[in-house]
Amino acid sequence: MRGQGAWNDLVPADDMSRGEAKRVIRRLWRMLGPWHRGIVYASAVVVVQVAALVAGPSLVRYGIDAGIQVDDKGALNLAVVMYIGVALLSLVLGRAVTRMVARLGESFLQWLRTHVFRHLMSLSMDFFEKEKTGRLVARMTSDIDALQELISQGLVLMVQNVLLFVGTAVVITVISPLLALVTLAIVPPVYFASRWFRRVSNVAYLEVRDRISTNMSTLQESLEGIRVVQAFAREKHASDRFSETNEAQFEANLSTVSISAKYFPAVEMSGVVGTAVIIGVGGWMVHAEAATIGTVAAFVLYLNNLFEPIQQLSQFYNTVQSGGAALNKLFGLLDTGPSVSERPGAFDIAPSAVDIVVNCVSFAYLDDVVLDNVSMTIHSGERVALVGPTGAGKSTLAKLLARFYDPSSGSVSIGGADLRAITLDSLRRRMCFVPQEGYLFAGTLRENVRIGRPEASDVEVEDAMRALGVLEHFAAFPGGLDTEVREGDSRLSAGERQLMSLARAALADPAILILDEATSNLDPGTEQSVEQALEALMHGRTVVVVAHRLSTAERADRVAVIDGGRLVEYGTHADLVGAGGRYASLFAAWVVHRP
Amino acid sequence: MADNSTYRDELAPMSRAERRAGTRLILSAVGLHKKWVAVGVAAGLIWTLARVSVPKITGKAIDFGVTNDSDSQLPKWVGFLLAAGLVQAIFTGVRRYAAFRLALRVETDLRMRLVAHLQRLHFGFHDEAQTGQLMARANSDIAQVQNVVLLMPLTIASTLTMIAVAGVLLARDPLLAVFALSTLPMLQIAAMRFSHKMFPIGLAQQEKLADLSAIVEESITGIRVVKGFGAERRQTSRLDAEAEAVFDRSLQAAYLRAWFLPLIDLLPTIGLIGTLWYGGHQVIAGHLSVGDIVAANFYVLMLIWPLRMLGMLLGQIPRAVGAASRIREVLKTDPVIADRPGANPLAAGPGEVRFENVSFAYGSAGLVLDGLDLTIRGGESVALVGATASGKTTVARLLPRFYEIDTGRVLIDGVDVRDLRLHALRTAVGIVFEDTFLFSVSVRDNIAFAKPDAPIEAVRSAAVLAGADEFVATLPDGYDTLVGQHGYTLSGGQRQRLAIARAVLADPKVLILDDATSSVDPSKEHEIRAALEQVMKGRTTIVIAHRPATIALADRVVLLDGGRVVAEGTHLELLATSERYREVLASSEDMPA
Repeated sequence: MRGQGAWNDLVPADDMSRGEAKRVIRRLWRMLGPWHRGIVYASAVVVVQVAALVAGPSLVRYGIDAGIQVDDKGALNLAVVMYIGVALLSLVLGRAVTRMVARLGESFLQWLRTHVFRHLMSLSMDFFEKEKTGRLVARMTSDIDALQELISQGLVLMVQNVLLFVGTAVVITVISPLLALVTLAIVPPVYFASRWFRRVSNVAYLEVRDRISTNMSTLQESLEGIRVVQAFAREKHASDRFSETNEAQFEANLSTVSISAKYFPAVEMSGVVGTAVIIGVGGWMVHAEAATIGTVAAFVLYLNNLFEPIQQLSQFYNTVQSGGAALNKLFGLLDTGPSVSERPGAFDIAPSAVDIVVNCVSFAYLDDVVLDNVSMTIHSGERVALVGPTGAGKSTLAKLLARFYDPSSGSVSIGGADLRAITLDSLRRRMCFVPQEGYLFAGTLRENVRIGRPEASDVEVEDAMRALGVLEHFAAFPGGLDTEVREGDSRLSAGERQLMSLARAALADPAILILDEATSNLDPGTEQSVEQALEALMHGRTVVVVAHRLSTAERADRVAVIDGGRLVEYGTHADLVGAGGRYASLFAAWVVHRP
Repeated sequence: MADNSTYRDELAPMSRAERRAGTRLILSAVGLHKKWVAVGVAAGLIWTLARVSVPKITGKAIDFGVTNDSDSQLPKWVGFLLAAGLVQAIFTGVRRYAAFRLALRVETDLRMRLVAHLQRLHFGFHDEAQTGQLMARANSDIAQVQNVVLLMPLTIASTLTMIAVAGVLLARDPLLAVFALSTLPMLQIAAMRFSHKMFPIGLAQQEKLADLSAIVEESITGIRVVKGFGAERRQTSRLDAEAEAVFDRSLQAAYLRAWFLPLIDLLPTIGLIGTLWYGGHQVIAGHLSVGDIVAANFYVLMLIWPLRMLGMLLGQIPRAVGAASRIREVLKTDPVIADRPGANPLAAGPGEVRFENVSFAYGSAGLVLDGLDLTIRGGESVALVGATASGKTTVARLLPRFYEIDTGRVLIDGVDVRDLRLHALRTAVGIVFEDTFLFSVSVRDNIAFAKPDAPIEAVRSAAVLAGADEFVATLPDGYDTLVGQHGYTLSGGQRQRLAIARAVLADPKVLILDDATSSVDPSKEHEIRAALEQVMKGRTTIVIAHRPATIALADRVVLLDGGRVVAEGTHLELLATSERYREVLASSEDMPA
């Protein structure tokens, strides 16, 4: 019989401790709450279906012993009819259970996907800045896909196989304990061989996966860099380099073949040895009248029911293990809470509130003090430029204004209300944060503009674009505003992306704009359109712009110079230039180089 | 982000010619490894014999060893059984190894052929082709071919097994054979239909999963926009819709499995039942033995997997042929730009460049260059200035013959570039592209790309000239720091400086800098300007730039407009005389705060 040890092997052990695995399973079970009833029904059906499968060889035994051996045609026919009934039953139940489990599993996965994504979207900016994009995407894709594979391919088969094995073992023990004992003696070697195979092939497959990904990235790189390769006439070198990784992939694959070329012969041999043992010992027992011929025949057929599950289960081991590891990682993500969240009792911001007051704000990020006791007031309708060297804290200040973070101490308030007391929704309606490196979402140009106000009509979208003077430009695209675009789309220049970003803000039409000016260079042609659109967008709004160009600062109502996390100067352009401080020297240096 | 069009590709119907081309490619690739085909088939034959004898021996063992009341026969038959099992086991190993080795070899060869061919294809081809598509050729398409090749020897062996089994049973009792085996062809048909129907559903499911992960990816990479505009709810509802679609597809796939898999399990059971019924009555009538029934049952069990595999193979063949014909499509594309017969190496010369009445269009688009005449003396440096789409980058790309011109001639030291060996031409002409591409190797290997054996001193001095040495020294491992996609992230300006160093190390006769300093921080550009002057000294150089300070480095400025030269002179002369020149320069204002 399979002991406790075999079961423990099926739960993820490599990545998680046993205690951790238990916790994951317990938490999963709680999470599956709404599906409990369905799981119980499905389990009941599986038990009946497996019982039908196990009945087969016993009916053969009955047919031989009660029918053939004693020339009783009636008993033989009865055995055949029952066998047909059992086979049809297992067909019907097999279909039912696969459908039930698929429904349960897939609806759980759908819930999990939306639940995890909602949670992800509720997390704050600081979380996204700390975590690598690839890892977060993997939580939602490869981790949930691992569970999907477990549910759609493995779960039913796994449960069936475990039950089939246990059921068969029980039935043969009841029929003939002695013959069952010698038959089951073949199980441990097959079990250990399968375990060896799983362990060794796991390592080999990891290597294969590694080599494949190396090979594919070499290929991808040689395709993306093809122009450089050809420009330097290095085609042969690039081919040689690929040949190396390609052959390495071959070698790794071949080593997995060598492993399976040892395992499968051993398993086939064990099958024949099993049959030989049953016939040898069974034959001796028949002669000793301790067993019937039907019993021997049934045992030969039952042998398959013992072999298949062991082999299949050892293959599922990986699926179960990666499913468990994936769940553990997902739980980790779900346990991370947003650092910026709505307080209970948060209220909507008053529609008239515009004045922004920064009061003694300090902000530390991972023990680094980024902002140190900054206080400033931005009046309604005013345009304020934040300038200062890279890393001085101007972007952080802008993000605090937009409540991407909360200050470590001090407060930011709008119209007298602390940002932390306001609902996030009402804040976003009043204030947009516009990163100028226009990011494109997959969809049409129109849908991209609509990001900030999904309910806006086509006319409103066009009006917003017209107001910035960019409607004509984008309407002239081959598909007009319905042109499909995506991030990394080479048809849109950097300048055009910025224009899209500005159009987005214009449609959202917030009273307060926080702009993060683009650092990249633009084509002379589009640069002008961007300037014009920006000017139109800022008109009549309260604007805080993180300025990377002094020309932007020059046009602002007031300039705040941030250096080393402190507000060192704050005043109009003219005043600051006149005062001869930090800003004046920056500006003087710039004017000299100006074309 | 997954490229959806690659999925649709696989469902497109094929013409007969495409089918034939695909089949031929597979067969010719397999034909190169006849030895392993032979080993696989021979091992398969022996394996089949051993395998088919096991049930037969089992039946005999029951009849002569078990039913018979004497113990004397039993050990003999058990011994036969074990011997047959041993032969079967040994040859199953050989057979598997041969089949896999053959399939993997074919896969590896085909991929190498494909990639080596892609390396030689012209810029025009790569402009059109999407990397994702080509990757799919080299990856999933070749994998499909591999799958089928893998199953080939196995299928030959399985087919032989089936014939042998049918023969053995027919010889014993034709009706027994009918009862035992008649449902098995249906099993194979069911497996084939399952594989065939599952394929498009599986693809649709993949496609939906790719759409879903695209939304996740854009929501995370574009999180600043999402948060900045409060678009969390929009993204969430988009994801909900995709999750729903994934649910639908997955359920569809599950229902298909629910329909077929229990059926596939049932069909052989019908054979077992038929054997029991017919065989049982024959035993009672004294025509057959119990051993015959057990043997027949055994045969049915034995054939389940080969038939399922055969069904799968038959389902996969059309897809593999389709995949092979797509691979063939790429392989038969000839490189448009290749050495002409009798092409020469480049003779020594000063590096004079001349464009004579050159007109050029990208594909069927409008003319980019329209009768361009331009001469650059050996050792002279010329700045090409012009608005977007004025043709300056095209000039830079025609000189190394990345594209073939329609009319006119491009000459280096008086020789048409089409009469030169490509290798010689491209070694003589060095280019720094605007969008710098670095390989995922060390800084040193990137700079020494053209000359991998260059000593570190040469690498360093090239880096010094390109103004890169200083920042390289601050990298974690200096010149050994891994960069590119999988390495250390460099700024745009740093990448450009490495690209310049790469071109400098190649020491070309003619150097082209295509907007090569556009991402260099203007305050830093000042530093490398002196270095560039050094690089350009005594070398024919074409500089494409917007910034006046960079333009001023050149001996002469050429203003392009509408694919022709409209004005030339020094920077100051043009500033004074050309309205268009001032216009083009006017908006290139940029200074960091």
